Amino acid sequence: MNFWFAVFRQTGRNLHQTWTSQLMTFLTVSLSVLIFAFFYLIYTNMLGAGDRLSDDLRLIVYLEDEPGPQMQEQLRRKIQNFDDVEEIHFISKEEAYQRFAKQLGENSDVLQDIPTDFLPASIEVVPLKSLRGYNQIKLFSEYLANLPGTEKVQYGQEWVERFYYFTRLLTIVVLLSGTLLILTATFMVAYTIRLTIMGRQDELELLKLVGATNSYIRAPFLIEGILQGFMGSIIGLSALYGLFQWITAHFTGPGLLTLFQFTFFPPSVILLIIMSSICLCSIGSYTSIRKFLRI
Amino acid sequence: MIEMIKVSRTYDPNITALSDVSLSIATGEMFFLIGRSGAGKTTLLKLICNMETPSNGLIEVAGYNINKLKGKDLAHLRQKIGVAYQDFKLLSNRTVAENIAIAMEVSYKNPRAIRHRVRDLLGQLQLVDKHNTLTGELSRGEQQRVALARSVANSPRLILVDEPTGNLDAATTERVMELLTRSNKAGATIVIATHDDSIYQQGNHRIMELRDGNIHSLTRGSLK
Repeated sequence: MNFWFAVFRQTGRNLHQTWTSQLMTFLTVSLSVLIFAFFYLIYTNMLGAGDRLSDDLRLIVYLEDEPGPQMQEQLRRKIQNFDDVEEIHFISKEEAYQRFAKQLGENSDVLQDIPTDFLPASIEVVPLKSLRGYNQIKLFSEYLANLPGTEKVQYGQEWVERFYYFTRLLTIVVLLSGTLLILTATFMVAYTIRLTIMGRQDELELLKLVGATNSYIRAPFLIEGILQGFMGSIIGLSALYGLFQWITAHFTGPGLLTLFQFTFFPPSVILLIIMSSICLCSIGSYTSIRKFLRI
Repeated sequence: MIEMIKVSRTYDPNITALSDVSLSIATGEMFFLIGRSGAGKTTLLKLICNMETPSNGLIEVAGYNINKLKGKDLAHLRQKIGVAYQDFKLLSNRTVAENIAIAMEVSYKNPRAIRHRVRDLLGQLQLVDKHNTLTGELSRGEQQRVALARSVANSPRLILVDEPTGNLDAATTERVMELLTRSNKAGATIVIATHDDSIYQQGNHRIMELRDGNIHSLTRGSLK
């Protein structure tokens, strides 16, 4: 019989003897991983949606008058003075009318009696990807609003602002829930191991007296922590995947989730969550061993 | 096997359990410690197996200063020392077989060899029918035999036995002594602390009497 065989057998005995407290810890770890992963999944999906939305982001600068070629060049220079942009496109009154008519489609005949220059000329500015933070866009729009001949700047301010604040709130929720759940999981594992150690003090003393090495006594507790972290994260993530499947099955079709293209974690993130859970539970277990196992 | 030089053990508040005890026990010897309750017999055994540390003096077991050993070295030495404690130190929620097996499991013995050895010992001590009984359900005499079986299970080089026959009838006492004698003939050094003069007067083993923590006499069984 080698060391590891003996240690795993001892671990099996421990789990068998203290299965109720082990089950409670296991459920706590699973629930902690589930709650944290749930918020993190929403957060990553929101970030993804934010990225996709920012791909379509453009600022429309409505002008009082249609600029001539010289004025257009001057405006182009002024815009680029603020920062490089992906694209600047001048839309004349006529072009604006054509676009509007195209958007109306079959109902475009309502425009029959309306003059073709009733819409204002505008500049469509597509900012660089690097300039798509909420505050930067706000600053840029304020700059554009001060350009000569500018009437108004639009870029879906309200929607961008709400989205920005929602993402920030979600970041705080993820960070808070993450921290609290990390503490809970670590504490619960440490507490269970501590209870096990205290409940088996006689056995541990005897093991020491018959010549068990410190590693032989400690290793089962550490393995318990690793197992709790591994199993807890697997069950937590599986439950989240089940929930994810249910949501995608019941909420597919034209709606919010289609817009957001709700996706599950990539394998690397799943692995990271499992490894983190194992790490935290091992730390909880190790601190208890250090503190309460007097060998 | 055992060397003790001027060993003392004092407990708070100022109670002397052992005072300046010097002793040498040879490898393969069977040695008896006798004396009244509180004479220091159990303390002496605890010092030899490093369950306690002396207040003064030096203790060497198998050439090692046992009080300076730590970690793996101490564990490995303890694997070679079998101890049957006066309070048995059995795990009451484990079976008889599991209690005996513990001593062999810590030195990673083959599971089949462990099972075989456990059955053999239970046979020698007439406990075969108790193989799967929880030790908490055994009588004192049975528990005592299980503790003894555990102490010899790993074929240790040194066996320390504290009152091995305290709860046993004459026939069982004889079986217990047969087991210890067999281990002794196989090369193990045996130290027995006892009140029972029927077990130490039969042979010509050395007998040390302790009184109030001091060596009162050191004689041989056959001389009595």
